[in-house]
Amino acid sequence: MVKDELKKYFEMLELPPDASLRDIHNSYLRLKKLYAGDSIVLAPLGEEFPEKKRKKVLDEIEEAHLKLLAAKKDEPSRTAFLFEDALSPEKASSQPEKAVDLPTTGPSLRKIREKAGVDLSEISKEFKVRIELLKSLEEERFEALPEAIYLKVHLKNYAVFLGLNPAKIIDEYLQRYQAWKKKK
Amino acid sequence: MAQTTKVREGEIWAVGGGKGGTGKTFITSSVGTYLAKKGKNVVLVDMDIGGANLHSFFGISRPQKSLTSFFEKGASLSDLVVKTDFDNIALITGDIHSIASDKITFSQKLKLFRQIMKLNAQNVVIDLSAGSHNNTLDTFLIADRMIVVLVPEVIAIENVYHFIKNSLFRKVKKTLKEYGFKEIAQHIWDHRQNYGINNLKELIDYLKDSFSYIGTILDHELASFKIHLVLNMVRNNNDILLGASIKSVMMKYLGVPIQYSGYIEYNDAVWKSVREGRPFMLNYMATGCAKQIEIFVENMIKGKDVSLPVGF
Repeated sequence: MVKDELKKYFEMLELPPDASLRDIHNSYLRLKKLYAGDSIVLAPLGEEFPEKKRKKVLDEIEEAHLKLLAAKKDEPSRTAFLFEDALSPEKASSQPEKAVDLPTTGPSLRKIREKAGVDLSEISKEFKVRIELLKSLEEERFEALPEAIYLKVHLKNYAVFLGLNPAKIIDEYLQRYQAWKKKK
Repeated sequence: MAQTTKVREGEIWAVGGGKGGTGKTFITSSVGTYLAKKGKNVVLVDMDIGGANLHSFFGISRPQKSLTSFFEKGASLSDLVVKTDFDNIALITGDIHSIASDKITFSQKLKLFRQIMKLNAQNVVIDLSAGSHNNTLDTFLIADRMIVVLVPEVIAIENVYHFIKNSLFRKVKKTLKEYGFKEIAQHIWDHRQNYGINNLKELIDYLKDSFSYIGTILDHELASFKIHLVLNMVRNNNDILLGASIKSVMMKYLGVPIQYSGYIEYNDAVWKSVREGRPFMLNYMATGCAKQIEIFVENMIKGKDVSLPVGF
């Protein structure tokens, strides 16, 4: 992505251009909470800061978050081996799809993580999230996981940390989570 | 006027914020003391017209000289600087005979600003009055660093918005006036409904879009308009995060850069220190408050935001 464009997204999340993944994550959560809720900080402005404007800000925050996560994903990651397999000519011809089209269940995510040599404590430290929660996520212990809106954020971070595409993981994981919730 | 005469050596910092009782004077005295400890030659100016008490923070109960002599007898500002008992810190006591702010004439004001800029100091720190009186705003606008103090409380937040908004509007109007566009900003604002303008940012955007020359001027002049926010008397992490929210809202709403430079926790030692008549930063060096003042000043100098507590 063009550098200037990235800078714009960092600015939208009120971050310096060298912000870490964790900074991006924290800013995103904080700003989303601010503009989606009814904070005493917004109240005094009343109609000078109307609903319409607020929606626009929320959209910008979402866009910036996605774009920045994607940009971070492009940085060399420790899970590059997954894609190398697919790209090396002899393997690509035999199983072109398989290596990239990853399974998205908790246990398979754990396998990828272990193969990449990433410890849960690293993810925990990066995003200030409890290791217990990450374990529950890998074991798909849905009862121990937070509401979908927060779960989505954890999944996204987990995926991004491993250099995986978050969209598919979130999608399929949440489908299983929602199915479990319905049964309950 | 103010913008054109930047030939001085030192830096002027001003501490404002709209609401009374938020700790402006405490911040002024502590920031000044910390700068002095760092080896800067500091003069503090108490411009809290009618509510001057900066001298009490340095154990001076009956000041011999004050700004009253400047306003009533035409004394020169540099003759009103008094030494304190502490290294590197001198003081210009406020007007304790409570002259009303609106009694100050325009020429007195200009003379005062000229003389503030000529003060022999590496750092001048000005303590402003509460409220958003034009004289207060004008003093705020001559500063190289504009500091806004608030406490985590609804009325203080409202007042801060009001204060920043008014400062910015004043800056826009003054800038345009200097360039010969006399009352254009005020005129459009007064008829804003006809222009479909709802707030100050839209007014500024309208001015920039409609007159490209004005756009260039405003971009240039407003580049120096940067607010340093400090949140005083915080009691928990939620309070601390409020500062970041206020920064966010003000930037998105007004489109001006705001830096959340620091927060200072509530501590009874602040009151004790005033009673003891010694600067807080010297008496209570080891407190969290004192550390936070240091971080706040260093952040301002480095142009950095304070780090926020994380977790959810």
